[in-house]
Amino acid sequence: MLLKLSLRSFLAHKGRMVLSLIAVVLSVAFVSGTLVFSNTATATFDKLFASTASDVAVQPKTDKLSAGQDQGGKTPVIPAGQVAEVAAQPGVKSATGEVMVENATLVNPATNKSVGPTSGAPTLVGAWTPTPGNPLTITSGQAPRDSSQIMLDADTAKKAKLGLGSPLRVITTIGSYDFTVSGIATFTTTNPGAAMAFTDVPTAQRDLLGSADFTSIETYGDGSRSNDQLKAEIASAVGGGFDVKTAAEQKSDGSKNLGFLDFMKYAMLGFAGISLLVGGFLIINTFSMLVAQRTREIGLMRAIGSSRRQVNQSVLIEALALGVLGSTLGLLAGLGLAEILIALMKSLGMNLQGALQIGWTVPVAAYAIGIVITVLAAWIPARRAGKISPMAALRDHGTPSEARANTIRAILGLVLTAGGGGLLVLAATAKKAATGGSYLGLGVLLTLVGFVVLGPLLSTGVIRVLGALLPALFGPSGKLAQRNAMRNPRRTGATAAALMIGLSLVTGASVVTSSMVSSATAQIDKSVGADYIVTSRTGGMSPAIVQAASGASGLAHITEQKILPANITTPDGKTTETQVDASSPTFVDDLHLPVTAGSPQAAFSGGISVDQTFAKDHNLSIGDKLAIDYGKGRTQSVPVALITTEGNSLSDHSFNTSIATVTEAVPAADQPLPVLLLGKAAPGADVEKSLSSLQDALTAYPQLSVKDQAGYKQIIQSQVDQLLYMVYGLLGLAIAVAVLGVVNTLALSVVERTREIGLLRAIGLSRRQLRRMIRLESVVIALFGALLGTGLGLAWGISSQKVLATQGLDTLTVPVGTIVVILLLSALVGLGAALLPAFRAGRMNVLAAIATD
Amino acid sequence: MTTATAAVQTSENPGGPSANAASARLVTKAYGSGETRVTALDAVDVDIQRGRFTAIMGPSGSGKSTLMHCLAGLDTVTEGRIWIGDTEITGLKDKQLTKLRRDKIGFIFQSFNLLPTLNALENITLPMDIAGRKADQAWLEQVVETVGLADRLKHRPTQLSGGQQQRVAVARALAARPEIIFGDEPTGNLDSRSGSEVLTFLRRSVDELAQTIVMVTHDPVAAGYADRVLFLADGVIVDEMHAPTADSVLERMRRFDGKRTS
Repeated sequence: MLLKLSLRSFLAHKGRMVLSLIAVVLSVAFVSGTLVFSNTATATFDKLFASTASDVAVQPKTDKLSAGQDQGGKTPVIPAGQVAEVAAQPGVKSATGEVMVENATLVNPATNKSVGPTSGAPTLVGAWTPTPGNPLTITSGQAPRDSSQIMLDADTAKKAKLGLGSPLRVITTIGSYDFTVSGIATFTTTNPGAAMAFTDVPTAQRDLLGSADFTSIETYGDGSRSNDQLKAEIASAVGGGFDVKTAAEQKSDGSKNLGFLDFMKYAMLGFAGISLLVGGFLIINTFSMLVAQRTREIGLMRAIGSSRRQVNQSVLIEALALGVLGSTLGLLAGLGLAEILIALMKSLGMNLQGALQIGWTVPVAAYAIGIVITVLAAWIPARRAGKISPMAALRDHGTPSEARANTIRAILGLVLTAGGGGLLVLAATAKKAATGGSYLGLGVLLTLVGFVVLGPLLSTGVIRVLGALLPALFGPSGKLAQRNAMRNPRRTGATAAALMIGLSLVTGASVVTSSMVSSATAQIDKSVGADYIVTSRTGGMSPAIVQAASGASGLAHITEQKILPANITTPDGKTTETQVDASSPTFVDDLHLPVTAGSPQAAFSGGISVDQTFAKDHNLSIGDKLAIDYGKGRTQSVPVALITTEGNSLSDHSFNTSIATVTEAVPAADQPLPVLLLGKAAPGADVEKSLSSLQDALTAYPQLSVKDQAGYKQIIQSQVDQLLYMVYGLLGLAIAVAVLGVVNTLALSVVERTREIGLLRAIGLSRRQLRRMIRLESVVIALFGALLGTGLGLAWGISSQKVLATQGLDTLTVPVGTIVVILLLSALVGLGAALLPAFRAGRMNVLAAIATD
Repeated sequence: MTTATAAVQTSENPGGPSANAASARLVTKAYGSGETRVTALDAVDVDIQRGRFTAIMGPSGSGKSTLMHCLAGLDTVTEGRIWIGDTEITGLKDKQLTKLRRDKIGFIFQSFNLLPTLNALENITLPMDIAGRKADQAWLEQVVETVGLADRLKHRPTQLSGGQQQRVAVARALAARPEIIFGDEPTGNLDSRSGSEVLTFLRRSVDELAQTIVMVTHDPVAAGYADRVLFLADGVIVDEMHAPTADSVLERMRRFDGKRTS
């Protein structure tokens, strides 16, 4: 009976449930879509790695002290003689030497532009070896046969508009080589987004490695032994200088490189979290209003003998119905979302083939989240419904004014907010970033909860001030709107809270990001002396590049910087895993290292620099010796010659020394290539002219970016902008759900105030005035939420900046423009949200409205 | 302003502008069509004289509320014409009707007369606020004085008793000096003492302030305060009584019941 009543009531109010339903659907869709997408992606990559792995692979041994190819490190190789050794082992059916490097650049000579992915995925160039694990098959043309031919993967060829016979240039760390495309190969499995090009084996060895070696040996067994047995035998044959890996080990290596998928997953789940949180407020509001509107009905139920429990349960059952329906629709929408994400990845060059992987976890998560959130959010209104006395049935009309926000709420809210605020201040003044960080986290949480609790109390005061101008500006509509926004503080508070959460996050993030840009810019102005900065998208810069740069006219010097992974052991006996930045001595002119003790010149003539924190942690002073281990038994002892002042992101955590000092331990031929070139214009030379001269000198290397200081700042700005786009995405979603909340509140309020609206119309309020009244109420609520949100966000952002000040975020910038835009946008959101409710109110029949009981 | 006046149909009020505050000619109001057609008003002719207190009575379903709603421009008629003063309101658009209600008509409903968010004074001046007019301060004071609310003006409706709330509603209807006030069972929700207070105010506003009032009621005592009572049955005006008393009205009403039961 109870169930029947609940479901009847759910159906009777389905119109009012729609917006809550949308909120549930959105949240569940994000969660299930993300899970389905990441399951599908993981499954396809697992398949890719499983199909491309050989039974046993022999690879050069690498450890943490070997510079990677992206750090300018040399490509590690296996001597050609090892192939025969491996092939001779019993149980080996075939052993093939392979060549594959990541530090080459493909260039279309016609346009002098890089060919291949620009968004993180690698460009792989190697030798064409048709082993069973080769993920490509030749679909047109033929495999490369001599040193003038190259084969390109079909996706890259299509994107770069290259075909059979097209010229293609390969720039390696050894030189630049021109080829003609002889064949196109197509991925038979998922294309992970990489660009691939193949030459024949001798050409690859000569042009990519500079020696007749291989980068790996791929071995296939004849089936007589397990992979593990094969591995053990091969490992003992080749000796300890190599890594020998079974198919399973290769596969798990590959999966480790899929961190970006995890990043996407967590970012998307973050979105889902926000929409869940905001949606929760929406559900609380909907059920509160439904309960308030049904006070008489519930009173009647109580009068004829329903227990509190039953009333309570009947509300929760309605919530359950909403949760089940929302989760089901959300799950379906999630599948759609996953398809969209896959299509998006495809447009970025990653083809995820195969069916959606749903698994049992996705529906379980979807229903758990959808139902738990809905029922939880309906809990408070349900309790309130249970407390309605049978007397309510006898009272005159059905919309009692809600109880005034009570003192407990006020005290709780004030305590939380004050505690949170105190923590934020503590965080801002904390000496150590780590302690500041934990204060900050807790402070953010407490102030958020505090504001949500205080929202209803603040609404009365803030809206009185905020709306003070309304009567003057908009006459009776303004006055009525202001009063309406204040009449139900709890409802206004919850509606505004939905908007507040999103906006506070966005404001906080935009304060931090704009401080990032201004801090970085200020530091560049203060400490960068170099006029030009050259970086590469693919690994290190070959000697030919350095030579070309040095040949540009109007330059005082070119500084090279190399990065060497190293273990540094301090006199206190502790060893730190880090890297040494080795540069030309002219570096001291290019970067003005902030000095606490010692001198930069000394650091570049036989010494090394450490930063203040490192010096303090290890009790170092000038002249103390550091034992540096570069691996492969190469070590040296270098005295500390400079301690740099903390708070400069360009020198913090850096160990700067000269290339000459490093060369004493590591022979020049074994050092990685430079990853950074800094240039300074000659005294009296035209800085602009020298820039174009440098750019001209390096024009043959499109993988390089040659910037002056202004250009470099733009790069930093654009990196931060990418972060901001994500923040704006978050903003969009939060606002969308919050708009649902405002629409919901207004729509239900309009229904609730039917008689009032009828009365107003009867005594002469025009439709326009009525619509304006509702619009203004909406704008006021939205602005209230926006004010709380931006206020909270500013506090968070400023506190974060102070916490990170010692980490280089030393300039606070409040993006006033962004905040003004956010406030204006919120007013627009309010206007937009009121469209439908205002329209409905305007259309209401006066007579019917008056007659409504 | 010639276009504005042209837009409003201003055919002469058949009873003459000086005599009648409102008139209806052959007004028919029907719901549904064909076999399910229900006629609430059947070719009703009525004239409401200026400066008089008219009560409309009749058994439930007689069409008395419908007649008032049509006269006040809240409801549309199926056939016939209605005038408020010189203005024919049948055929007016919503915008013009709203303006007419705002400027020329006052309302007192049975319940829910006041906006809970406004205090008593704000509720009283609301129609003028909406119109963007300034209240005539002397008149306002006189009205407030008449209904005896001077010390309650800052109270919200929830802080007032039912009788006080209805008195505020009366004050609101009077304050804007409308041509005519319509009351829809204005004392229906009040106890007899509060009810007689409100009715006394209505009577005084007719006698002392020369206000025109039309009141729908089913209470013979309330009708006894009027100058004239119209009796409606089955959508037709069946009788009329001048200078009624509660007893004479009760007597007349009994005849309806008698007719019904016979």
